[in-house]
Amino acid sequence: MAARNLRRNRVRTVLAVLGVAIGVFAVATLGVFGNVLALGADDAIGDIGTQVVLSPNADAGVESLTDADVTAIRRAVGEPAVVPLRSDGAIVSGATDQQFATVYGVEQPGLAFTAAAGTLPERHRNGAIVGASVAESLGLAVGDRVEVAGAQTRVVAVLAESQTFSPVAPDDAVFLPESAFAGTGYDQVLVVADSGTAARAAAESIRESVNAREARVDVFELAAIVDEINEFFDLLGTFLLGLGGISLVVAGVSILNVMLMSTVERRQEIGVMRAVGVTRRDVLRVLLAEAGLIGAIGAVVGTALTVVVVAGLVVSTPAVDTDVVLDPSNGTYLALALTFGVGVGLVSGAYPAWKAANERPVEALRS
Amino acid sequence: MYSVSLRGVEKRYPGGGTEPVVALDDVDFAVEPGAFVAVVGPSGSGKSTLLNVLGLLDDPTAGERRLDGTDVTSLSVRERTAARKESIGFVFQDFHLLPTLTAVENVTLPTTFDPGTADDRAATLLDRFGLGDRLDHEPTELSGGQKQRVAIARSLINDPAVLLADEPTGNLDTETGESILAEFERVKREGVAVIAVTHDPIVESFADRVVELRDGVLSPGTDEDAPEPSARGES
Repeated sequence: MAARNLRRNRVRTVLAVLGVAIGVFAVATLGVFGNVLALGADDAIGDIGTQVVLSPNADAGVESLTDADVTAIRRAVGEPAVVPLRSDGAIVSGATDQQFATVYGVEQPGLAFTAAAGTLPERHRNGAIVGASVAESLGLAVGDRVEVAGAQTRVVAVLAESQTFSPVAPDDAVFLPESAFAGTGYDQVLVVADSGTAARAAAESIRESVNAREARVDVFELAAIVDEINEFFDLLGTFLLGLGGISLVVAGVSILNVMLMSTVERRQEIGVMRAVGVTRRDVLRVLLAEAGLIGAIGAVVGTALTVVVVAGLVVSTPAVDTDVVLDPSNGTYLALALTFGVGVGLVSGAYPAWKAANERPVEALRS
Repeated sequence: MYSVSLRGVEKRYPGGGTEPVVALDDVDFAVEPGAFVAVVGPSGSGKSTLLNVLGLLDDPTAGERRLDGTDVTSLSVRERTAARKESIGFVFQDFHLLPTLTAVENVTLPTTFDPGTADDRAATLLDRFGLGDRLDHEPTELSGGQKQRVAIARSLINDPAVLLADEPTGNLDTETGESILAEFERVKREGVAVIAVTHDPIVESFADRVVELRDGVLSPGTDEDAPEPSARGES
């Protein structure tokens, strides 16, 4: 009955359905886009959160970290790899060019870095491991001769481009064996965990044990940045959803309008229904069904449109990964938008339906 | 036992000025099963109000109202709706059929939300009124007389005790109007009390009894000296 009533004024119904469709489309696409952005960012910066960088706490007068410190750290973190580093700045010269770069002394580079060319030795004793950008700008390949701070040596490996943000930036650095450095202290210690959670746990235990009596190390958790970035995307996502929500509200107003007009037009009819013995509840159900139908059809159309547009986006933009788009969390947004569409229909239709169902038949028939 | 009766019924509305409007003034009115009563009177005399009160669409401000012997003077909205569904049929001047429904669906309208189907009963009724070949037609495809017949069928779907008609021939030509009144006769012979409010003298001629409502006063009321009928069908 509800469906037939809607068909009476097709244009009006179609327009109301369109309003809901657009609203649902807005909520769904903005929700999905926000989610895709967040997921993509997560993907891209996923590795960041796995590192913890420890430096000597200059405020406490600690200038460098000792072997004892490193052992303490190793004991505190357990599983994750601990890579102590010495660092300095120096001029690096290739065959034709030279530049200033950070030079690190490291013993087990394989624990923290990956090579794009050559192999990383288990223990670094000879040669230089060159970061991706340095290699590119100086035109260095494995086996080439390179001069670092006046000393000649050969390139044993070129590192892969780094995916992480870090105070230890391997792309612009050159890695020599520890022996190339004078002195015994470490300037930094890298802790490389498998996941953000593991890194966070490691940082915690370092704070608790190594820094228990005095704050010897400065703990820099990249996870903190990741958290902030995620928070940003959450905010962005919520904001976008809010924008989409506004258009759904507008759709709701349009349904309210349509239902009000249609129940006023049908005043006598509704009066007759009540006169012949149809209960108020049943009248309410028919009218709510009409509003709900508008919402439901609009929601389905809007959701279908969203799927089409998102699919189109994946096909046309290489920047958006198919995996990210097919992530099930996007499905939640679609379901949410669908529910909202139907909900808006029912909520907006409730007042006109209630008003019409409760009108006294005598008044309704009089008109 | 009367199908429907009013005793000392009064209907007042708060008026525009200081005086309340008295639409019905101490009305005594009773109709036996199988009787056809016409209510005449000038416009504004309260005829519609009378019909509304009889039809449980409105409540009297004073007095007593009975349906098949049961006191139905003050009922809740839900009870009134149920009583209308079960015992009262309405026929209006404007037919008031739902345009989106077919003839059969219009006839079964009072039972639409009940479990089961009354389609067979509806088909039988429509057949009886000569509309057997128009069961699936919508109101736009029916003539005035046919629409009124559908409306009568609708009013009978639940086997009511009373049929209330508001100017049933108002929108029909004389010939069609007469055929509708013939249907009323058939209906009354089945024991339904038929009450028609009308301006049409032809309706008066078909009625067993004519009462006049003027300024809220009904005359004559019931024939209080007449014995109450013991069985349905006697008038």
